[in-house]
Amino acid sequence: MTDTATRAPAEQNLIDRIAGGFVVESEEDMTPGYKKALITQLMVQGDTELMSAPAYYLASRDAPSINSRIAVTAIVHDELGHANIAYRILEDLGVDKHWLIYGRQPHEFKHPYGFDQPLENWAEMVVANGFFDRAGITLLADVHQHTSYGPLKRALVKVDREEVLHLRHGESWMKRLARAGGEVKEALQRAVDWMFPMTLEWFGLPDHLKRHSGQLVYRLKGKTNDELRQTWMAATVPLCEGIGIKVPAHWDAARQEFVLDYPFSCQYDATAKRWLFDEPLTWEQVFDRWKARGPMNERYVDMLQGAFRGWLAN
Amino acid sequence: MAGSPTDAEVWAALRSVTDPEYPLSIVDLGMVYGVRVAEAGVHVDMTFTSIGCPAIDMLVHDVREAVSALPGVARVDVDVVWDPPWTKDCISDRGRRVLAMYGVVC
Repeated sequence: MTDTATRAPAEQNLIDRIAGGFVVESEEDMTPGYKKALITQLMVQGDTELMSAPAYYLASRDAPSINSRIAVTAIVHDELGHANIAYRILEDLGVDKHWLIYGRQPHEFKHPYGFDQPLENWAEMVVANGFFDRAGITLLADVHQHTSYGPLKRALVKVDREEVLHLRHGESWMKRLARAGGEVKEALQRAVDWMFPMTLEWFGLPDHLKRHSGQLVYRLKGKTNDELRQTWMAATVPLCEGIGIKVPAHWDAARQEFVLDYPFSCQYDATAKRWLFDEPLTWEQVFDRWKARGPMNERYVDMLQGAFRGWLAN
Repeated sequence: MAGSPTDAEVWAALRSVTDPEYPLSIVDLGMVYGVRVAEAGVHVDMTFTSIGCPAIDMLVHDVREAVSALPGVARVDVDVVWDPPWTKDCISDRGRRVLAMYGVVC
């Protein structure tokens, strides 16, 4: 946490007002520090929603029935709408929406590493809905509840409601695949094996390593990264245990929290889709892995930008 | 049919199944076309507001769960039918009032 003595008086004044319940409504209410933290938060939020669309779209082709494919394409439609909400708010803060979508290189998007990975079968698609969308709603419900930025709080009502449906789609299909047993359940287990640690990483740096969070100071969110991870596990660990699917985490009754059964974090083999629990990484190394981007980064961005470039060319 | 639910009890159970977007039951939306209670189980005829509705699987599942929870129901058959086609005229007066409160004109 930044020492309050080193903060500019205007920054400290805004932080104090926010702590007292002040709701920021326009740019005039903001300090440079607040605006910068808000823009970063909205870019991560919008890019995450945007990049889920090509990932889910490709996987929708593995849907086992027309109704389940329609369900996934409707989810893709929702996600694009959610990205538009974040980008639309960014426009009010002076960021060009067209540049956000079409003007950036693949590695410049700020979505999590999980959305650089291919979803290659129906089990991975529904675990993405069950895990990734659960992460999305965990993060966004916290923002919705705590954010000091009024326009975002209001916009998130619709987003939260739609994410609940995605989650429901994912979890009901996970239960169904587990009940089917045999190879179907094995495919579900394989998906969970790489996607569970992938989602935990998504919440970012552990609290004991985090020195400063503008997002918390400006109350752009309410819970810390570790608290959000616990919230996510409180839903996903019992879900998986209830359907006979193993996860590398368990409830520790003495500590009254979920505990991971592997080094957090560690190396990931993106080609084999396998976590190497015997190769722990520092968080510096994790950030390097994220920055190098995953196997689908360029293809997903090209799917989003390619049609527009084709239209320009003609 | 000792132990089977009455038609009214089945309709009441169906009122607990809500649309994923609006705070309105599928009964008020006019999506339930008929209920038959027989020795073998309960049969529900229902439709959807569009053939491309992404929530078909989900709502059929919800209907099964709601009706199965009634005492004496061993089996639930849900038939998705498209005739007559659903229009907004199928929405009940109560449904219209609720939707109006949420700013939806129909």
